[in-house]
Parts: sequence; structure tokens; C-alpha cells
Amino acid sequence: MSSAVELGESYVAIEQQRQAQRAGLWVFLATEVLFFGPLFLAYVQGRLYQHAAFVQGSHHTDLLLGSINTAVLLTSSLTMALAIEAAKASMIRHARWLLLGTAILGTAFLAIKGAEYHHDWEEGLVPGLRFTSAEPSAGVELFFWLYFAMTGVHAIHLFIAIGLVLWAAISRVTRKPTSMRLPLIGLYWHFVDIIWVFLYPLLYLLERYR
Amino acid sequence: MTAIPQLRSFIGVWLALLALLALTAGSSLIPLGAWNNAINLAVSVAKAALVAIFFMDLWSGEPMPRVVLTVAIGMLAVLFALSSSDFLVSKLAVAPWSNR
Repeated sequence: MSSAVELGESYVAIEQQRQAQRAGLWVFLATEVLFFGPLFLAYVQGRLYQHAAFVQGSHHTDLLLGSINTAVLLTSSLTMALAIEAAKASMIRHARWLLLGTAILGTAFLAIKGAEYHHDWEEGLVPGLRFTSAEPSAGVELFFWLYFAMTGVHAIHLFIAIGLVLWAAISRVTRKPTSMRLPLIGLYWHFVDIIWVFLYPLLYLLERYR
Repeated sequence: MTAIPQLRSFIGVWLALLALLALTAGSSLIPLGAWNNAINLAVSVAKAALVAIFFMDLWSGEPMPRVVLTVAIGMLAVLFALSSSDFLVSKLAVAPWSNR
């Protein structure tokens, strides 16, 4: 099997194909920005109208676990970026191990998030299913509705990204240094990381000094 | 054994990301008024920029992704601006669900 990338029918040069594929994935990421955007908008509106309740809600989240998870995802972006560089340099074993590490870090994130969800359930902070918080407030419930909507949708994205990375780790893409598949998966991975970077302060860091 | 290309610079970016995380988490424990929000937002933007520029080749690559991202963020800004008009005039017409 050749390690060269095949040129698609609609392209005249590999570089043109590479740029078109990158542009295509960025257009997908733009739709994702506008997919997550309204959830952030809902959050901003909720916080403008119900600031005290949002602070109250935020204090029910686990600052330590949230911060650890942020570090886990940031580290996974490092291993992802290094995996792509390793594959480009034909360091196939390195690339595979780094991809495996990336998937493990992503899975660790989901496991920690799952532990947080479990705790939220025990505390009765799940709107619609089990909301028995000691401070019954529509604002706190709205906060937790957004918390589950935003982190839930993010977790689904990460779940898909882990699947793609695992596929890349065992497939032949690491053997094709000029293939765009791995860099495109990387773009998606980093995007999911960036979404979390914005979610983290909004959900975990409200007036923690109180 | 040769090192992975970019190893040193990528680890530098990662350390900067962790330092920013420490800054945003640490500052949230100190009452700084409106600066708490400002620091959190600035740190988020800085972290996103580091990841986008160094890990996603947003700056060094061809211009098309930058155009696409600018349009997406621009449209999001329009969405935020128009939707916030309700809050901006809410002193004139208080929304039924507002507790202000």
C-alpha cells in the first residue's frame, strides 16, 4: 500500500486538495460555533436576569473536578497536536501512542464528568428528572438546565471525537504523512477543547470567593 | 532517536495553557468585582487563541479558515447583539420573568 495521498478528481494539486479539505472542516466548525452559540446566549440572558441564582447554582458545581478536567482536556490537545506532527514526520509508533494517550485523556474527562453528574443527581440538581434542591429557585433550575445542556452536548462531541481518534490510532492514516485525515480529526478535537475552555469559567467560577 | 518536530514549542504552549488555567481558577477565589468576569473572559479568549494559532494552524495556514471563522463569530455577535436588545430596554418594559 502506497503512503502517498490520492488526488481527488476535482483537484489539480495535492496542496489545493489539502486547502479545500481544511476549508471544508472549518466551515463545519463554523456551523458548530453557531450550534453552541445560542446556548451561550441563553446563558448570558439567564445570568443577566437571574445573576444571584446563577452564582448559587455555580457553587453547587465541583471546582476541583472542573479544573482537573480542564487541565485534562488541555493536555489532550497537546498530545493530539504532537501526534499529528509525529505522523507528518513518519514517526508512526509515536503517532499511535500519542493518539492512544489522547483518547485515554478524553475518556478520563468523560469519566470525571460522569462522576460529577452522579453527584448532581444525588444532590437533586437535575431539572425535569430530579430537582429537589434545598433552595428552590427557578433561576437555579435554569442554571442547571443550561449546565446539563451545554456539558451534555459537549460530552457527546467529545465522545465522537474519541471514536475518531481511536480509529486513527489503529488505522493506516498514521502511515500516510501527507494524509489530511489526521489533521482534520485534530481540528475537531481542538475545537471541542476550546468549547470547554469557554464553558469552564461560566459554569464553575462564579464568585467562588464567597 | 529523533524528537517529534515542534515538541519544545508545543510543550511551551501547553505550559502557557496550564498557567492561564491557574490564573483563571485562582483569580475566581479573590473578590475583584467586575474584574473576575473580565479575567475569566480574557483567559478563555487567550487559551482559545493559543490552541487555534499553534495547534490548529489558524494563523500560519492559508487565509480561508480565518475568513470562515471571522464570519461565524461575526454572525454570533449579531445574534447576541439583537437578542440582548430586550435586556438593554428592559428598564422601559420589564419582562414578566425578570426579578429586577
